[in-house]
Amino acid sequence: MTSTNAMNQEDKMVGQDVGFERIRRITGYLVGTTERFNNAKRAEERDRVKHGI
Amino acid sequence: MTDKIQKRNGTVVAFDSVKIMNAISAANKAVEAETMTPTDLLFLTEKVCNKLPKDELSNVEQVQDYVEETLIQYGYTKTAKAYILYRADHTKIRNSEGDLMEIYERLTYSSAKDEDIKRENANIDADTAMGTMLKYGSEGSKYFIDNYVLPKDIAAAHMNGDIHIHDMDFYMLTETCCQIDLIRLFKDGFSTGHGHLNEPQSIRSYSALACIAIQANQNEMHGGQSIPNFDYAMAGGVAKTYVKEYFKALKAFFRLKLGVSACKADELVVKIKSKIKVKPTMSEPDIFNEALLKCADEKMTEEFLASADAYACETALDLTEKETYQAMEALVHNLNTMNSRAGAQVPFSSINYGTDTSPEARMVIRNLLLATEAGLGGGETPIFPVQIFKVKDGINYKDGDPNYDLFRLAIKTSAQRLFPNFSFIDAPFNLQYYKPGDYNTEIAYMGCRTRVMGNVYDPTREVTCGRGNLSFTSINLPRIGIEAKGDIDKFYEMLDEKIDLVIRQLIHRFKIQCTKKVLNYPFLMGQGIWIDSEDLDYEDSVAEVLKHGTLSVGFIGLAETLKALTGKHHGESEEAQKLGLEIIGHMRKRMDDESKKTGLNFTLLATPAEGLSGRFIKMDQKKYGKMEGITDREYYTNSFHVPVYYPIKAYKKIELEAPYHALTNAGHISYVELDGDTCKNLEAFEKIIKYMKEKGIGYGSINHPVDRDPVCGYTGVIDEVCPRCGRRAGEAVSVEKLRELRKRYPNVPKCCE
Repeated sequence: MTSTNAMNQEDKMVGQDVGFERIRRITGYLVGTTERFNNAKRAEERDRVKHGI
Repeated sequence: MTDKIQKRNGTVVAFDSVKIMNAISAANKAVEAETMTPTDLLFLTEKVCNKLPKDELSNVEQVQDYVEETLIQYGYTKTAKAYILYRADHTKIRNSEGDLMEIYERLTYSSAKDEDIKRENANIDADTAMGTMLKYGSEGSKYFIDNYVLPKDIAAAHMNGDIHIHDMDFYMLTETCCQIDLIRLFKDGFSTGHGHLNEPQSIRSYSALACIAIQANQNEMHGGQSIPNFDYAMAGGVAKTYVKEYFKALKAFFRLKLGVSACKADELVVKIKSKIKVKPTMSEPDIFNEALLKCADEKMTEEFLASADAYACETALDLTEKETYQAMEALVHNLNTMNSRAGAQVPFSSINYGTDTSPEARMVIRNLLLATEAGLGGGETPIFPVQIFKVKDGINYKDGDPNYDLFRLAIKTSAQRLFPNFSFIDAPFNLQYYKPGDYNTEIAYMGCRTRVMGNVYDPTREVTCGRGNLSFTSINLPRIGIEAKGDIDKFYEMLDEKIDLVIRQLIHRFKIQCTKKVLNYPFLMGQGIWIDSEDLDYEDSVAEVLKHGTLSVGFIGLAETLKALTGKHHGESEEAQKLGLEIIGHMRKRMDDESKKTGLNFTLLATPAEGLSGRFIKMDQKKYGKMEGITDREYYTNSFHVPVYYPIKAYKKIELEAPYHALTNAGHISYVELDGDTCKNLEAFEKIIKYMKEKGIGYGSINHPVDRDPVCGYTGVIDEVCPRCGRRAGEAVSVEKLRELRKRYPNVPKCCE
């Protein structure tokens, strides 16, 4: 019994429908996930280009 | 002439012809031509009054009909048109009660995912019960303020997107933010309104009480809370913990070496304490050592006491370091989890540090940075507090400076966790206030960027502690740029009109704020957090002490404005940059002039604009269509920033934006975007921060992608596929794989299994 359980456990898949967290700075604060950004800030974040040095 | 008039709601009030004159004047000001002199105004008002029937009661609608009729009759057709529009707008406003109910419906039945209105502020979870409750209150309040509180032309300007009154839902209630001096607050303890807290006695309780103070104050204001002197404030707690640990270690030493009971060892320690007037300190251990050796007798020789002291010093230092780490870890955890404002958000907190060179403060800074680097329980990047490292040449800027090692550690932490940001005391507009050793004169920034330092109300109190912003309102700069149609003189004329309007609105709000009493702010004013409030009684007015705060005019979209005026933004052309500096310089001068005139602190703000980023442009798109480089995106560019989509070298961006920092005395920030790899190069990171300082930036930071896979715990850059567990967003991985990974990476979370 125990061993079957353990095997089932090993086979178990996790993370279905879990996205990645993307932490970004807006205004000066950080925000834990872009999902809570308003539409305009989402667009702005999408448009940001990296600055070379 | 009639002496009474019936309002729309049926009440009868005294007739006031000045209101008619004001309405005509406002309509006239909305058109360029047909300029009316005061005599013209009086004449027209009199004509309207004469038309009113003498023996029956007129109502507002009838009066408005007479105004229209009179304007047309005397040839003021354009003014009449403006007046008709104004009337139509206000009828619309009055009918918007239905709109409010529609908003409530959306708040109730849609999720934040689908409703932009529920994502105005990304740090509030509007899907929760309390988050929605907060939105009901906020939307209802805005409706009330729009329709029943604001002067009509100001309400119209806000609603049609000429200006934006920030935090308007709090118009009748409180101020934006405050910089809390914990040193003053902790002395002799304080009360949160729900109970008294004694003066803290260890670094752990210092950190806990710091969080409580931030939380308590946050609940009385509508903006964020800042600690301007975190290192100085926490150092006292470290010193107290060190003393405790020292005597604990001394006692242990006596017990073991002398073979006495715990009780006896205690007695010996108490005896020593009673003989010695000084306390053991980290900074000057020799002073206590010397005093201790003088206590030598036949039982405890000088040699014995010397080794006891060495042991106690070493042990206390080690344990105090550990305690400080725990305290800083707890602070970061608390500030990311503790609730405020009906539980819908955590306090918007900021802490400034970096300049206190005492060993106690250095211990605080070091451990705060280490705790930040370690992240939260699951390795997540802490969102709060906003951390600001104060950079100062001679203190932490270069090799040989006493806190240079901490500056380097701050860079390492920021390269991984996005915080700390960096503020620059040496920027000339910050340096002018700086007095070495006086934390109150070291510039501090609040969260998003707010800065409060100069003080025209009381020039002897140009300090950070106890002061903050009272309220701020932003101007839709691109719209003026578009309306000017390339005519710079006209641009300035319209800009000045808008500035006049905003100044009038800020004073309108300030007068409401001035009607409050200490009892309206039991913590902020009752506990003496706000400057000079400690001299006030519970029933006293706060009108006078509020004058230490700032009233700020903000702006958005300088880039789009320049594009509208010259065809290019300031990243593209030197000429545009020159004009940009002139425009912002003009706005600043208007603030300085107003300050001189009123004795109040009017300041110019590079508005943070989170909710505002999309509001103006949406309206302007409707009005003007999609104009290339001006209204063709979903957002206006933040304050004076070079547009985010414009390719530019980091150094060039810093050079272009720095001069605006000197002009925006209410606050500013510049960022540079680096890719993940460049960011790992700490030398490059340091070079950029130092370039900011050399160019006169006041407050800046470096952005880089910080992604995290909550399933395997990987933190870093994730493009499409997680480099650790190999899954794509939304895909599952096997538990077995996670267990394998955990052997190599102990921080793989177990929550998903």
